[in-house]
Amino acid sequence: MSAVLFLSVFLIAACGLIYELIAGTLASYLLGDSVLQFSTIIGSYLFAMGIGSWLSRFLNRGLVARFVAIELMVGMVGGFSSALLFLGFAYGHGFRFELYALVIAIGILVGLEIPLLMRILKDRFQFRDLVAHVLTFDYLGALGASLLFPLILVPKLGLVRSAMLFGIINAVVALWSTYLFAEQLARPATLRAASIAVLAALGCGMVFANQITVAAENNIYADEVIFARDTHYQRIVLTKWKDDIRLFLSSHLQFSSRDEYRYHEALVHPGLAAVPGARRVLVLGGGDGLAVREILKYPSVQSVTLVDLDPEMTRLFSTHPLLTPLNGGSLKNPRVKIVNADAFPWLEQETGSYDFAVVDFPDPTNYSLGKLYTTTFYRLLARHLTVRGLMAVQSTSPLFARKTYWCIVETLKQAGLEVHPYHAYVPAFGEWGFVMAGMAPYHPPAALPQGLRFLTIRGLPELFDFPGDMAPVTAEPNRLNDQVLVRYYDQEWSEITH
Amino acid sequence: MKPDRRSFLGVALVGLWPKTDRPISGGFVNESDRAGHRLRGRGPFAAPPQRVRIPLVVVGAGMAGMAAAWHLDKRGFRDFVLLEMEAQPGGVSRWGENDISAYPWGAHYVPVPGPKSLLIRELLEDLGVLVNGKWDDRHLCFSPQERLFLHGRWQDGIEPNLAATARDHEQYRRFERRMQEFRATGAFTIPMERAEKEPGLLDRISMADWLRRESFDSPYLAWYVNYACRDDYGAASSATSAWAGVHYFAAREPDEKGPLTWPEGNGWIARRLAKRLGCYLRTAAMVYRIAPEGARMRVATEAVEYVADCVIFAAPTFLAPYLMESAPPVSHFEYSPWLTANLVIERPPRESGIEQAWDNVTYESPTLGYVVATHQSLGTRQDRSVWTFYWALTDGPAARNRKLLLGTDWHYWKEAILDDLARVHPEIRQCVSRIDIMRMGHAMVRPTVGFLSSEERLRVARLNGPLLFAHSDLSGFSIIEEAQYRGVTAADRALKRLGGSR
Ligand SMILES: Cc1cc2nc3c(=O)[nH]c(=O)nc-3n(C[C@H](O)[C@H](O)[C@H](O)COP(=O)(O)OP(=O)(O)OC[C@H]3O[C@@H](n4cnc5c(N)ncnc54)[C@H](O)[C@@H]3O)c2cc1C
Repeated sequence: MSAVLFLSVFLIAACGLIYELIAGTLASYLLGDSVLQFSTIIGSYLFAMGIGSWLSRFLNRGLVARFVAIELMVGMVGGFSSALLFLGFAYGHGFRFELYALVIAIGILVGLEIPLLMRILKDRFQFRDLVAHVLTFDYLGALGASLLFPLILVPKLGLVRSAMLFGIINAVVALWSTYLFAEQLARPATLRAASIAVLAALGCGMVFANQITVAAENNIYADEVIFARDTHYQRIVLTKWKDDIRLFLSSHLQFSSRDEYRYHEALVHPGLAAVPGARRVLVLGGGDGLAVREILKYPSVQSVTLVDLDPEMTRLFSTHPLLTPLNGGSLKNPRVKIVNADAFPWLEQETGSYDFAVVDFPDPTNYSLGKLYTTTFYRLLARHLTVRGLMAVQSTSPLFARKTYWCIVETLKQAGLEVHPYHAYVPAFGEWGFVMAGMAPYHPPAALPQGLRFLTIRGLPELFDFPGDMAPVTAEPNRLNDQVLVRYYDQEWSEITH
Repeated sequence: MKPDRRSFLGVALVGLWPKTDRPISGGFVNESDRAGHRLRGRGPFAAPPQRVRIPLVVVGAGMAGMAAAWHLDKRGFRDFVLLEMEAQPGGVSRWGENDISAYPWGAHYVPVPGPKSLLIRELLEDLGVLVNGKWDDRHLCFSPQERLFLHGRWQDGIEPNLAATARDHEQYRRFERRMQEFRATGAFTIPMERAEKEPGLLDRISMADWLRRESFDSPYLAWYVNYACRDDYGAASSATSAWAGVHYFAAREPDEKGPLTWPEGNGWIARRLAKRLGCYLRTAAMVYRIAPEGARMRVATEAVEYVADCVIFAAPTFLAPYLMESAPPVSHFEYSPWLTANLVIERPPRESGIEQAWDNVTYESPTLGYVVATHQSLGTRQDRSVWTFYWALTDGPAARNRKLLLGTDWHYWKEAILDDLARVHPEIRQCVSRIDIMRMGHAMVRPTVGFLSSEERLRVARLNGPLLFAHSDLSGFSIIEEAQYRGVTAADRALKRLGGSR
């Protein structure tokens, strides 16, 4: 009997501390400045507990029923506290008010628990033993909770479900109290029913909690997230909506499975089909294997070297059952060699030469990536092309980022290459631009591989025609010591997004 | 009672959450002061067991000494040795290397030479930096070059701009106009000796006084000019000759966005020169006495005594009296104490706003900021890096600062450096794993008021006998172009002399 009683003390102490930690953690996550948040939360919480302890003197009759009711209230309020705070932060306005109101409410209720329990138990134990035992288990509970919280609860369950789990524990304590102290209760059945109702609500909450968290964290991707991982280099996120799979790298859309064929056919074929008998092909970036899929349509191609920085990317697109159908298993093809390396230093030490190169890097959003769009880089790449070799470079949108696009064209020109700018419409991106470049003059292909869905020989000249709103503008070349491209890009895209 | 315990647990938890600092290793490196002390204390030195007859000895394999050797070699003159007291050549352009990157210990860049700077262009052409009249992009500093931490955030460029007032802008423009006028006079050249006019009145006042006289009172401009003086001359603008201060701004006409730089800074040049000149170079060969012997000179190291027809002294000029009995007076040569540190950065500190640049400076810090050794990497990702931290001790008298520099321990400077960096990178102590510090009591000569036009400097610089001086300090400020010019000029004088005596 007494063991069960002290277990209750242990559990409610743990619950009390967990709610405090959850409020503090959430406040620091959401508001920042963790020292300030924790100090004020702990302060308010302890103060509220003091109020609770003081209020306990006004409770005189039906102590057990009151204790059970308080447990149920703590379970409800505490259990849903982090879900409420999360949603309140996302959708409401008075987050701080909500935060402190909740903290104070929970604090008062928790402050009532121990004094009430002591009074309930005072006739069963010597006062000296009672105080000693209750406080001992109280502190032990706090210790248990404080260790459990950072080591297991936060990483394994997350904040929303941790709160609910401890709400359930409060409700369980309430329920078994109705049995422990049955003789002191007038209407145990009602309290038991109430306990079951609270347990059911929290149980539903546990199931629902997943959706709350997922909904909150996914909201920017709009669709259902099927894969999300922070690799050493970037955050890879895959979303799926009906039959449309989308890949986001560090929240930039890379492709939509509905129309990526337009992008990748345009990236590969106008160039590769113009180098008949091409044998060695290089792909820089493009770890999704979609460009490689197009390249493998040429029987003359003997080897494809894919250089992508992120091993997690190429591993994912070699093995994930939802993704390999997209690239047709291209990355597992024996003709394909995968190199996980940073492209510029890799090219520096590479000695092979290639008949065709695909340059499919992320947009030049910063000076690091901007290096991959410089005269020096293109000159280096040109040295790895065979005499009649060509390169095709993804070059952002000539419509939305016109100066950026023509800057890349100018850069390739300044690198001593003959350039052939072209573009294609890809619904997920809008009008998209590419540049074909090489040392030798470019002769459009006479034939394309079978089975393309977008490109036709008849339609090719249209790709090279730029209507008025995408026509060339003057731009400086992008150079290592003067990366104008990053500034153009920043300006043009911020005009669109703000 | 109960709440206390609970709050204690809570606080203990909070206390655990901020990441703990990394243990930081390191120490003082390249301590040349011991050798310097021995020199200045005149020994004791072992008598050289060997005597070697040789037409020419070059003392000191810094930039000046190596430039002399480079020039001699190019002229087909091979009968000389280049003696360096340290185990590594390069002097103030020395470098180091670890598993992350090479890094500089001192000089770290060369401003892109204009079309008229033929001598430095010749050297850079030899080293493949200038190819068919065009600068190889890989050696030009990559974007973004510089940033300044001001009012709690980073801005592009070092000239303070954030929250600049109309007055600041007006004064920047007026200052720029004045500098253009100075440039047009042709009096400010590199090397400085090529100028058509002698440093005149401008050498009689300090740069800070000149600003006042010209009614420049923008605090931003004052800071910027003071920073330039501290960075290039190791002296505050109030202790720098106005001629030198103006020279900084008016002497250059770069034909490309720069500067030129390498992971190991000018050590990249030093390294290549040292390799090319390997057959002449003797390291760990400190010269402790230079004395005339008839028409010849005896140059003593502890291993060999050279008997030479001519000596090029490319060690710092202030050392002359400790090595020679009848050295010319050099009491006006004043030097600034410097400290450089190389920090191993295990992960870049998190920051927002504009990206890290090559040179990163903090407004109103006593230090000069830090340069990122891995900046010139072609990769798109650097997790680990090396930062070179620069600090010219310019507040107060040089002698006192030198004493402070040499009299305090590594821990003191490590903490001072971290404190300074923590102003801009609060997380820095969690990112650094090693800090090596190099102390230089006499790092660079100062163009103090009047020094450039002083008789003493001119006399030493014009000496043309069997003993020729060649250190960059003869120019009153040490930059690579001056070091090279002094070395080459001395080499030419030596060639003339030796040619004549044969
Ligand atoms: C921290 C710092 C940063 C700098 N940054 C730049 C920069 O970015 N760009 C720039 O152009 N300039 C810079 N400078 C200036 C730099 O001093 C010059 O560029 C140049 O390196 C000076 O070369 P030097 O040969 O004249 O002198 P030193 O480098 O001083 O060479 C003298 C040499 O003589 C040796 N020596 C001394 N005594 C003896 C002896 N008794 N026997 C044998 N050998 C001896 C020394 O060990 C040394 O190697 C910087 C200087 C400092 C201190």
